Amino acid sequence: MADRRPATIRTSQPDRGARIAGLLGAAREGSEDALGQIVAELSPLLWQVTRATGLSSGDAEDVLQTVWLRLVAHLDDIHDSAALVGWLVTTAKREAWRVCARGRRQLPADQDLLAELPDRGPGSEEQVILNDQRRRLWAAISLLSARCQELLRIIAFAPRPDYAAVAAALGMPVGSIGPTRGRCLAKLRALLASDPAAS
Amino acid sequence: MTPPDPGHPPAADDPLDEADFGLLDGIRELFQAIDPMPADLPERIRFSLALRDLEIEMASLAEQDQLTVAARGTEQSRTITFDSDSLTIMIRIEANRDGTVRVDGWLAPPQRREIEMKTAADPLTAASDEQGRFAFARVPRGTAQLIVAPAARGPAGAGRSVVTPALIL
Repeated sequence: MADRRPATIRTSQPDRGARIAGLLGAAREGSEDALGQIVAELSPLLWQVTRATGLSSGDAEDVLQTVWLRLVAHLDDIHDSAALVGWLVTTAKREAWRVCARGRRQLPADQDLLAELPDRGPGSEEQVILNDQRRRLWAAISLLSARCQELLRIIAFAPRPDYAAVAAALGMPVGSIGPTRGRCLAKLRALLASDPAAS
Repeated sequence: MTPPDPGHPPAADDPLDEADFGLLDGIRELFQAIDPMPADLPERIRFSLALRDLEIEMASLAEQDQLTVAARGTEQSRTITFDSDSLTIMIRIEANRDGTVRVDGWLAPPQRREIEMKTAADPLTAASDEQGRFAFARVPRGTAQLIVAPAARGPAGAGRSVVTPALIL
């Protein structure tokens, strides 16, 4: 059975990992509904994984469809939430790179995630960066390395108990024993703490 | 820039704490606002997964071109190529005047096959000719998916349907 540790960390996401493990078991037994709930639950994470590689929205949609169809063939091999999330992230990233390499699409040499964000027309950034807190966070993230930007963007969408599995799938383990902060979050906190605009 | 607070610099090896979770929540909100997943995508994926009990071979997107007819800027045609182990499927999608779309397709290697177009409404059927050509004259806009039925007999690729990802027409 899944690790049912008390949800002391944060109540806004009460044991999302255990819930996904339960859905996984039901999906393996053929429940369309459970599989659909897993798709709804984890597609936003895979969207960010795929878009962070620089793919267009249309290509990202195709990658997600392919990844979920592949999962169905592997359901019997995957037994807990961490393994599921790790498998999905790894497969999405591999498939995204395959599409990048195959198409005539060219990745920009400088993989700055923030620079690659879609243009949503004039004024959109102002609408998004609503308040000062968000603006400061945005500015601090943009100072991080491209690797750290990618990791944090993706981790932020992962079920909490599975951070370590996601980071490992991205080639950036965040601690072998428990979920540690990792250098990307540490760096982000240092940047925010040193922001002169905070005063 | 002033240096970080020397008293308690956040260490990479420390366990995640409330401030980290707060930051991750903030990052998630930021990217949800800036680059949101299309809201109907999970529904379209479920649509694809409903086919999974068939004996299928998945074709994946190989190439996509969007051409705008220069003379009349509103008319567009889209060419999409899908590849699978045994088959390449190329389709060209053009808008009809009545709001539906026309889909012309080619199979390579050329062969006669039954072809089904799954749509949000009733499925449509067509058959390719000896040159591998097929056409759906009027397809409703929305989610659609092509299923090439198994070849009746033959040494290679027999017995398997080839299915494309769901696409939006």
